[in-house]
Amino acid sequence: MATQEPELQTALLRLNARAWGIAFALLLGGGLFLATIILVVKGGPNVGQHLSLLRVFLPGYRVTYLGSFIGFVYGFVIGYAIGRLIGSVYNRLVS
Amino acid sequence: MDPTGLRAGALMPAPAPGAIEGAPRPDDIDALAVRIRFHPDQSPMTATPPRAMPAAQAITLAFAPIHKRAFGVAVGLATGLVVFLVTVIWLLRGGQGLINLWILGNYFAGYTPTWGGAFLGFGWGFFTGFVAGWFLAFARNFVIATSLFLIRARSDLETTRDFLDHI
Repeated sequence: MATQEPELQTALLRLNARAWGIAFALLLGGGLFLATIILVVKGGPNVGQHLSLLRVFLPGYRVTYLGSFIGFVYGFVIGYAIGRLIGSVYNRLVS
Repeated sequence: MDPTGLRAGALMPAPAPGAIEGAPRPDDIDALAVRIRFHPDQSPMTATPPRAMPAAQAITLAFAPIHKRAFGVAVGLATGLVVFLVTVIWLLRGGQGLINLWILGNYFAGYTPTWGGAFLGFGWGFFTGFVAGWFLAFARNFVIATSLFLIRARSDLETTRDFLDHI
């Protein structure tokens, strides 16, 4: 173990950019899907009046059952881009 | 083609100075253990080498720290781009009355949903993301370092247990 200690102290973690992309994608897509579907199931006179403002940035998105799946796709794509960007930039700076 | 399945240079490097000629090295033992574990029905002498990494390499990777500044820059860049793009899309769609981006100015001093504000928002987003990313990396490294310290302390305690039994 003693010979490995310098390695433990100096080695820097490199991120798997694709794994980070998928993780962020699932987080963002799943989060938006759940946020939408919960509001739809709860119902009420004015369903998701604030969340539906996202349609400004995500064309086609609505606070409906179908909109929750559209939101998942949007969240997945955007999340993948963010995660991939973080992983790629980090790896480039570390190497 | 090496009939032994042990590729020269990969699993059987030159013996270290002072080592006994032909004696197995720790790396060889690791590779052999992995091979026996994943290919129990194949002879270690004829099995093709698996793609599993040696245990020491896996442990090093598991406990490797994140570079705080690099991670901060990466997260900052992503956050800055998000703020910038949100502002630009809002402007291109003539966002008046759709969603109130002005309230971002409560957190980002001087920010307004304008073209100039988009660049200022990028700067603020980068700063905020950098601080968040740096702290996240710091917290992660701290937890890993603490875990490593506790593992070493427990291991040291285990090695001295029999000593305590004798006094």
